[in-house]
Amino acid sequence: MIRQTTYDRFAHDITNRGISAWLLAALLTSFYLVLYFTEGLTPVAKAIGLDSKWTLYGLIYTIAVVAGGIFVIRRYRHNKYQVVRTCVVMFVQSILAFALPQFLKAIHQPEYYFSYFWPLKLDYLTPNTIFHYPLPIILYSFAGSLILVPILGAFFGKRWYCSWVCGCGGLANTAGEPFRHLSDKSTTAWKFERASIYTVLGICITLTALLFTTYAIGPKHPDLAAFTYKFQSFYGLIVGTMLSGVVGVGLYPLGGTRVWCRNFCPMAALLGLVQKVGRYRITVKKNMCISCGMCSKYCEMGIDVRSYAQSNQSFTRASCVGCGLCAEVCPRGVLKLENVSAKAPQQRLVQITSHRSEMNHSSLR
Amino acid sequence: MHHIIIGNGVAGITAALTIRERDRSAQITLISGESDYFFSRTALMYAFMDRMSLRDLEPLERKVYDAQKFNRIRAWVTNLDATTRTLTLDTGQTIQYDALLLATGSRPNQLTVPGAAAVKAGLVNFVTLQDLESLEKWTKLGGKAAVTGGGLIGIELVECLTHHGMQVDFFVREPWYWPAALDKEEAAIVTGHIRHHGVNVYLEESVAEIKSDTAGKLTGITSTSGKQYPLDLLGVSIGVHPAIEWLTQVKTPPATKRGILTNPAFLTSLPQVWAAGDCAEIELAQGKPLVEQIWYSAKRQGELAAKSMLGDSIAYQPPIFYNSSKFFEIEFTTVGQPNAPGSETFFHPFAGAEASIRITWRDSAVTAFNMLGSRWNHEFFERWITERRAPQYVIDHLAEAQFDGEFCTLPLAEAQSNFNQSRSPR
Ligand SMILES: Cc1cc2nc3c(=O)[nH]c(=O)nc-3n(C[C@H](O)[C@H](O)[C@H](O)COP(=O)(O)OP(=O)(O)OC[C@H]3O[C@@H](n4cnc5c(N)ncnc54)[C@H](O)[C@@H]3O)c2cc1C
Ligand code: SF4
Ligand code: SF4
Ligand code: SF4
Repeated sequence: MIRQTTYDRFAHDITNRGISAWLLAALLTSFYLVLYFTEGLTPVAKAIGLDSKWTLYGLIYTIAVVAGGIFVIRRYRHNKYQVVRTCVVMFVQSILAFALPQFLKAIHQPEYYFSYFWPLKLDYLTPNTIFHYPLPIILYSFAGSLILVPILGAFFGKRWYCSWVCGCGGLANTAGEPFRHLSDKSTTAWKFERASIYTVLGICITLTALLFTTYAIGPKHPDLAAFTYKFQSFYGLIVGTMLSGVVGVGLYPLGGTRVWCRNFCPMAALLGLVQKVGRYRITVKKNMCISCGMCSKYCEMGIDVRSYAQSNQSFTRASCVGCGLCAEVCPRGVLKLENVSAKAPQQRLVQITSHRSEMNHSSLR
Repeated sequence: MHHIIIGNGVAGITAALTIRERDRSAQITLISGESDYFFSRTALMYAFMDRMSLRDLEPLERKVYDAQKFNRIRAWVTNLDATTRTLTLDTGQTIQYDALLLATGSRPNQLTVPGAAAVKAGLVNFVTLQDLESLEKWTKLGGKAAVTGGGLIGIELVECLTHHGMQVDFFVREPWYWPAALDKEEAAIVTGHIRHHGVNVYLEESVAEIKSDTAGKLTGITSTSGKQYPLDLLGVSIGVHPAIEWLTQVKTPPATKRGILTNPAFLTSLPQVWAAGDCAEIELAQGKPLVEQIWYSAKRQGELAAKSMLGDSIAYQPPIFYNSSKFFEIEFTTVGQPNAPGSETFFHPFAGAEASIRITWRDSAVTAFNMLGSRWNHEFFERWITERRAPQYVIDHLAEAQFDGEFCTLPLAEAQSNFNQSRSPR
């Protein structure tokens, strides 16, 4: 039941797909369309002394992350995991993803974002772009994308990136907080997610391979080069612009904060696969779940956490970004995010008890 | 085989799923007067506080009912005739079973104080979806509310009403909040926390008389200490009892005492009729008859009763008691029997936190754990109790049972050194 104040009625409306939510979605979507496809924001940027509309966008984005972050820290101040994580997100966005690149630009160095990696940022591994950067950055980019990202993923799960570092996740977990519960929890949505996200990953890897091939033999095969670059700009338009920007953020008030992350992000697909074989998992305390559904409701990735918890199954879902909110909102302390090593006591106990016949509702899935 | 289950709560639905897992072709019918689909009663408070919608309370996707081929009937059962194996519904429909499970849950206890019978509006319980509806109606009008009865449902109702901006008085008949589960020290922490949320907590005080106007609208109460409290809403949460009233009207009632009596295999006094969950009173192979009224027991019993219906031989033996709850923001885990006579206890409140641990033992074997304000894996406690571990062993191994989130771990060293000091010879 909605609280009987004007503020609460409005808050309910905007966070529950009411009229104001549709208006906000329209506003956000138009903002992105104007940003990407027109120069409408350039004069605004110039008027406040910024060099381009992209700098203006970066500034707005950073303000949203910091303001949202303060809101989130206040809301979850009793939970240190959330406080630490949110501070890191705010730091990464304001320093690595805003101040540092601007500074580099100011001292006439290439504007490089140390918090982004391939395949989220395709350009940071593809030869036609990354080779224009100075050598240390090329090395950082290759090592980051191909070594650091998967290794940390294997040890800590995709959360180290998706809910501690990445700007998209950063916005979702700060300014997007009021909309996190809107994610679709149905099995149909889960099926769609698996089909779409691995499709994007496949396309992304194919394109990357094509770009390398073109770099190597392109000069001799102008047709291939023409095709590849067309493909690249098409991918940039559909995936980079439409899906991650317009749809990804534009639909916050209707589909929750992770529409892009969940269904389309190639980085999420890759890290999800690493996560499945890595050490990260959510441990479920046995027979303590009261099936209340708070965990599922507040999972931004639309994972039906309750279905695992009520059938006593610890789990690692590829899509889980490790935001930790399911564990935070659970009124019975059933869930725990862990990087399980063989010696962890929780793990030992689970092994001991898991062959006991317990309530098993796996037939529902 | 036609299995009919009355009650689509956690006991009933768990039974239905268990039967279906074993028998793909059985006909399974779920009947409930309260709701079309299984919902989580434990989460009523989150619907009341708009943290979830009613639909979110449903633990199973609706398509599961079709996939599992469960027939659902929304109606109240009014008659049970075991001689013809026939049920009659309030819609007039009759329906025949081969095996019947009564999983009708519990009903709230009502106040019987003077004036209670005259009240037509403003007196509410917090157990069913219909209760929620009427609560919401009264909450909308705002004003002053009171809740009587110091248990878990009571405090949840207090939290909800406070959330909606009502000024709430909380009457607890006992000397401290929830003595059935908490010791005095823990109760003091919880009471302080409730008061911090702006609730007036009155200990050793309860409702003596209810007053209402000529239209039957509640206007206030007189408490057992003689004080007058003008009120718009009175929430009654003085416990629940097995839902057996309806059985007094039926053609062949099963034997009942506090609840529907069953043997250790959940079979009632009627042939082919079983009972499980909140409504059942189980005459165990040894010990007193058992009425368990929590979520976990209902789920456990539902599964076992179903197996009994399928012909397995079942002899119910309840596991070591455990439960968990949350008082506003403070979480609580309890395992074992805390108040056994002759037991000793170690209590440690954590400085600067609304958190404490209590370990109880008898004859130098641990018997109970009461942990407030942090998270614990009850399975370790159960194991230590079964293994009759010494308190020193438990204190030394306590960290293994911690279930706090990353960066949130309670500093146990403080408690451990306190324990060692208290045990060292002076
Ligand atoms: C507000 C609240 C909070 C709670 N919180 C907790 C908690 O945190 N932890 C915990 O362990 N327990 C908790 N409980 C207790 C827990 O919810 C119950 O123990 C559990 O739901 C019992 O399940 P059940 O299947 O036996 O019965 P119920 O869930 O009560 O289901 C019985 C169903 O049978 C139907 N029925 C009854 N008679 C008839 C009839 N004649 N015809 C047709 N249908 C009928 C009813 O309408 C009802 O839907 C809470 C209870 C309440 C009310
Ligand atoms: S899913 Fe992709 S966009 Fe989302 S947080 Fe992870 S890497 Fe960033
Ligand atoms: S399962 Fe939990 S940690 Fe993972 S994304 Fe969902 S809410 Fe976050
Ligand atoms: S929030 Fe906790 S108790 Fe509720 S359904 Fe999820 S795991 Fe179970």
